[in-house]
Amino acid sequence: ICGRDGGDSRVILRGSEGAGEAFAGVMAPPEEAGGGDQFPVGMKVLVVDDDQTCLAVLKRMLVQCRYDATTCSQATRALAMLRENRGAFDVIISDVHMPDMNGFRLLELVGLEMDLPVIMMSADSRTDLVMKGIKHGACDYLIKPVRMEELKNIWQHVVRKKFGGNKEHEHSGSLDDTDRNRLTNNDNEYASSANDGAEDSWKSQKKKRDKEEDDSELESGDPSNNSKKPRVVWSVELHQQFVNAVNHLGIDKAVPKKILELMNVPGLTRENVASHLQKFRLYLKRIAQHHAGMANPYGVPASSAQVASLGGLDFQALAASGQIPPQALAALQDELLGRPTNSLVLPGRDQSSLRLAAVKGNKPHGEQIAFGQPIYKVQNNSYAALPQNNPAAGRMPSFSAWPNNKLGMSDSMSALGNVNNSQNSNMVLHELQQQPDTMLSGTLHTLDVKPSGIVMPSQSLNTFPASEGLSANQNSLIIPSQSSGFLTGIPPSMKPELVLPTSQSSNSLLGGIDLINQASTSQPFISSHGGNLPGLMNRNSNVMPSQGISSFQTGNTPYLVNQNSMGMGSKPPGVLKTESTDSLNQNYAYANHMDSGLLSSQSKNAQFGFLQSPNDVTGGWSSLQNMDGYRNTVGPSQPVSSSSSFQSSNAALGKLPDQGRGKNLGFVGKGACIPNRFAVDEIESPTNSLSHSIGSSGDIQDMFGFSGQM
Amino acid sequence: MDYSNLRRQAASLKKGLFDQGHLDEQFRQVEDLQDEASPNFVEEVVVVFFKDSGRLISNLEQALEKYPRDFNRWDAYMQQLKGSCSSIGASRMKNECMSFRDNCGQRSVEGCMGSLQKLKREHAILRQKLESYFQLLRQVGPAGAATRPAM
Repeated sequence: ICGRDGGDSRVILRGSEGAGEAFAGVMAPPEEAGGGDQFPVGMKVLVVDDDQTCLAVLKRMLVQCRYDATTCSQATRALAMLRENRGAFDVIISDVHMPDMNGFRLLELVGLEMDLPVIMMSADSRTDLVMKGIKHGACDYLIKPVRMEELKNIWQHVVRKKFGGNKEHEHSGSLDDTDRNRLTNNDNEYASSANDGAEDSWKSQKKKRDKEEDDSELESGDPSNNSKKPRVVWSVELHQQFVNAVNHLGIDKAVPKKILELMNVPGLTRENVASHLQKFRLYLKRIAQHHAGMANPYGVPASSAQVASLGGLDFQALAASGQIPPQALAALQDELLGRPTNSLVLPGRDQSSLRLAAVKGNKPHGEQIAFGQPIYKVQNNSYAALPQNNPAAGRMPSFSAWPNNKLGMSDSMSALGNVNNSQNSNMVLHELQQQPDTMLSGTLHTLDVKPSGIVMPSQSLNTFPASEGLSANQNSLIIPSQSSGFLTGIPPSMKPELVLPTSQSSNSLLGGIDLINQASTSQPFISSHGGNLPGLMNRNSNVMPSQGISSFQTGNTPYLVNQNSMGMGSKPPGVLKTESTDSLNQNYAYANHMDSGLLSSQSKNAQFGFLQSPNDVTGGWSSLQNMDGYRNTVGPSQPVSSSSSFQSSNAALGKLPDQGRGKNLGFVGKGACIPNRFAVDEIESPTNSLSHSIGSSGDIQDMFGFSGQM
Repeated sequence: MDYSNLRRQAASLKKGLFDQGHLDEQFRQVEDLQDEASPNFVEEVVVVFFKDSGRLISNLEQALEKYPRDFNRWDAYMQQLKGSCSSIGASRMKNECMSFRDNCGQRSVEGCMGSLQKLKREHAILRQKLESYFQLLRQVGPAGAATRPAM
């Protein structure tokens, strides 16, 4: 019998003389590589933990669950293994506290690069840590000692992740009611889940994710298609219009009905707007929270939000306050984007962010968040910096960070697209186009978050985990996949590597766009269309040869990382530094749905934060005009929907001026949230180097194999 | 060889460990993982545990001296040790880890020192008892070892 069945078959005989014998047979069907008929048997699990005892016990448990377990005591080695062969494992279990790399960081990187489910594990059961794990995209969070029963169920995460992206196809157009309910639920859940256990948070996050997946399915890009209950594609243009309307009304007064009226988009329903608004608000809150938290350490008066650390986002407070103070926004951006130079742990406040917060500090409280056009048009080598000090400009170069990449960031991204060196307008981020030099230098310093706008500190927002390895000269954009989809194809001429994550769940684009950077260099923000982007992260090409921020569309990027995490890693993601001397630096801020991650290129000039959840970019982009072959918007784009929103803080901007280099971080991971760690150092020294910003992670090889040196 | 007697002694030793709180349910889970495929699993894990924990404790002691009042660092070390203890079910040790961390939180150097001493003591006791236990099991021999003493 055993011979026939093969596989793991054992026959155990027990008996004693005279007492007869008992046969016990264990006949296991032949094990297949995970995913076969016998799934979850044979599912490939990688366990990462520096604790050998725990590894030994876990491995044994996993084997008993009939999984195929591999252990690794070093996170860096695990990452290398995963990079070598992404398909080698189905699920990762990782400890939070490890000497060579913070577990959350690993989580981010894996999420960004590989879109594999990651389960966090720790002996520490503090809610804030659990929350942090969830926000970083962990599918689950186990408290040691891990029991067998818990491990038995981990296969569900693999399935969930695999099929999660397909959900959108199942929810055709039933957007409004159920979605609205869910949105409401999500919102409430989210707000109240701070005190819930990890499970609840996870559930609410999952729900949100699902919802977002539904929402963000990019179809043909026509927001007003006429099928019954058409799914709305929040293209860049559309989102831009939305943002304009909200800006116009003021965030507090922006009600769906009025927004709808202002937008005046045929076929768009109030419900569509309502659900979009809800997400938007959520996103803002999150970034505000972060910002507030970030601001605190510097004693910058924070608004009502008290955020001790990323883990302690006090959404309720923020929600209660109803406002997102600029400091909060800036802080949030910082938090999301950058990592303090030295600390791996998130709770450490990112210095740059703090500075940003500080800079922003003079911003009066309770100002509305204005969402300026996230898209800046970039003229020849010049990026429209946030026209902050330019009242005449009329807009704060604020980008609405779009938490859920579902929102049509992609579209706007494509608008940004022009990444050609020769093209100046790559950044269709903002209609404001100003002479980069004047604008930038002035702007940065004087950026003031006016009630109408949010200025995002451009610098330091670039850190993306992925970008750690990016060389300073790379202008790659790293966009955590999760959110966004705004990868637009990057024409080959574009040097910078753009990696845009396409996220399955496309949670949100954090459209944080960090607009202004120091005037010295302008880095175009490059958006690359997912489809055409080659593996961004590992390229050493210059990210932004010139101007413009390209938006990325993740469509087909191989690197889409699906991650629902906040993208805030303890280590600053690689920061893109653009060495160009363009006047404008584009910073790209990226925030994923959970958090507003700001992806900012370390350009001195304009910073462009861009969030987008790529999901299925294909459809959405095509509708953009002026698309070049790569689906990048060519030439000056109309101020359409820059779905990216960014927040900048004056403070942050003020710091930027000295940036000698812009950092562009481009990373596309599917569904991954951009770690958004901008090199904090950027602010500090004119010669920010990637390594600097990546500072804390300098010793760690990121996906590009960089060790923090650009 | 009086297997049954040896086995009885081993069982009694183990029971004592549980009763006195040195070990908890997690240890049983670890034992459950032992089977014909891994007949010495428990002992192997215990060996790894003591090796690691010895090292961690010694690192911690050095840190206490080298980085005075660096509670965060101390806490981080202890965090690691706590994880190990919980993985194997070393209950008393785990409690001392937690108490140490509490003391770090309260920024009490004496508290930390005290906890560390207790931790070391528990560590030594557990090690000694488990060593005796496995020794007994080994004496019982493969046949005896193959049968997990009923608890």
